[in-house]
Amino acid sequence: MNLERIPNEEKLSLSRRYYLGGFAFLPFLWLVNVLWFFREAFLKPTYTEQPQIKSYVKKSALGLIVWVAVLTTWITIFQHFRAQWGEVGDYLSFTIPLGTA
Amino acid sequence: MNTSDSEADSYNERSALVECESPTIPSYNQDHDMSLPQETDTKRRRPVSSGLDEPGPVERERASTPDGEEEELTLKYGAKHVIMLFIPVTLCMVVVVATIKSVSFYTEKTSQRLIYTPFEEDPNSVGQRLLYSLLNTMVMISVIVVMTIILVVLYKYRCYKFIHGWLILSSLMLLFWFSFMYLGEVFKTYNVAMDYPTLAMIIWNFGVVGMICIHWKGPLRLQQAYLIVISALMALIFIKYLPEWSAWVILGAISIYDLIAVLCPKGPLRMLVETAQERNEPIFPALIYSSAMVWMVGMADSSNPDSADERLRNEGGALAQEGVESEDDAAQGGRRRCSAEEDLEEDRGVKLGLGDFIFYSVLVGKAAATGGDWNTTLACFVAILIGLCLTLLLLAIFKKALPALPISITFGLVFYFSTDNLVRPFMDSLAAHQYYI
Repeated sequence: MNLERIPNEEKLSLSRRYYLGGFAFLPFLWLVNVLWFFREAFLKPTYTEQPQIKSYVKKSALGLIVWVAVLTTWITIFQHFRAQWGEVGDYLSFTIPLGTA
Repeated sequence: MNTSDSEADSYNERSALVECESPTIPSYNQDHDMSLPQETDTKRRRPVSSGLDEPGPVERERASTPDGEEEELTLKYGAKHVIMLFIPVTLCMVVVVATIKSVSFYTEKTSQRLIYTPFEEDPNSVGQRLLYSLLNTMVMISVIVVMTIILVVLYKYRCYKFIHGWLILSSLMLLFWFSFMYLGEVFKTYNVAMDYPTLAMIIWNFGVVGMICIHWKGPLRLQQAYLIVISALMALIFIKYLPEWSAWVILGAISIYDLIAVLCPKGPLRMLVETAQERNEPIFPALIYSSAMVWMVGMADSSNPDSADERLRNEGGALAQEGVESEDDAAQGGRRRCSAEEDLEEDRGVKLGLGDFIFYSVLVGKAAATGGDWNTTLACFVAILIGLCLTLLLLAIFKKALPALPISITFGLVFYFSTDNLVRPFMDSLAAHQYYI
């Protein structure tokens, strides 16, 4: 759908829904919110709903950064210590690489 | 594994090529003199690809009226559509071929089969193999026909909730289950350790955002990307679970079915189109890929509201089986709002059913899986694109829903078998004798 052709109130409501939806463990949704509404929020001339859209985009970006940090930390820990954890590591693993310890 | 019936049906509904709306405005407008409709007729018949390199008639058009500009735009946009459909079809095929070549899971033959192809092919006897593949094809096609008829009946009797629920279930399965399988196989191939929590996050995010983009509102590019991905996933499932010869016969049979169903007056898909036209509503989100393009058309004459209404009706008609609901609602809403103004924003694009993506990719994927080398794959790829070009040309001439499978699949099959049996031995013996041409 094209953002150009919908009225501002709908844009705001769409941005809000994407923001609220992202709380259900959906950082990807927050990413989409940031990328899609970035131009609307920051690069367009001001209109009434813009400050609110801007706040939603900023909050989505913040949430996204937090999630990325958490996931990166977990993935690093897992990949590094998986072999050492023995049984717990295997239990957590979906695929176990062959040929390594 | 057994795929659900919803899969068989939903990919069928997707086989059609539909023009978003009629491109030539002046011909519907009674205010213009007779010369213009004639010129527009010849313009329409001229192949879209050559529209760009004929400055003469275009200049003539430009000089006549403001609508001359629209003629020019029509030609350019016709050629642009071809490109805009090439890209997603190519992407889908690239994804499928890349997966086939790298992940061996999809080329390993298992004893598991789909319930739609119950006869197991015996590799030892040619006659029996042929017979069983024909029987498999008949079973599959009859399942498809039955599903399509059920769908048309449901649509006629306005059981929208049932249809929407069915579609949502089928895309749920595609987005979650098939992508889970796919990811698992990719990780195994590349020997990567993956833990359940991260995997759960990935699949959950991918699936939910996919459902949102396809069935509700989302950025156009993301929606197109998701549609390409689910077509590729579906094609991979077919490549894996259809027996060898059955797959080829099924491809041929389904393009014949597509031809009949879309063009015959009593064909189920055509009845679907006509019912939708009568009710003037878009149908079935998530079954069609739309290459939408927006540009501003300036119209200063007083016949604006008439042509706008005409176009609305045409769009309602041309939307055939599927429609990207959010986009169309927005498009129609925008047009109604702006029709009185001088600048009219129009959304034009060609819609291609997802079933077409799936079967094109199945053909190219099977060529990559069993064809031996890249010659065959590339030949099939080129053949399908040529077929798509021709189909779009016919679409520009006839301006109604057309089956997109027959021409491309026919070319693809011809190219596959001839390349495999004629060109490849030729190239091999040339290479063996070190004779370069």
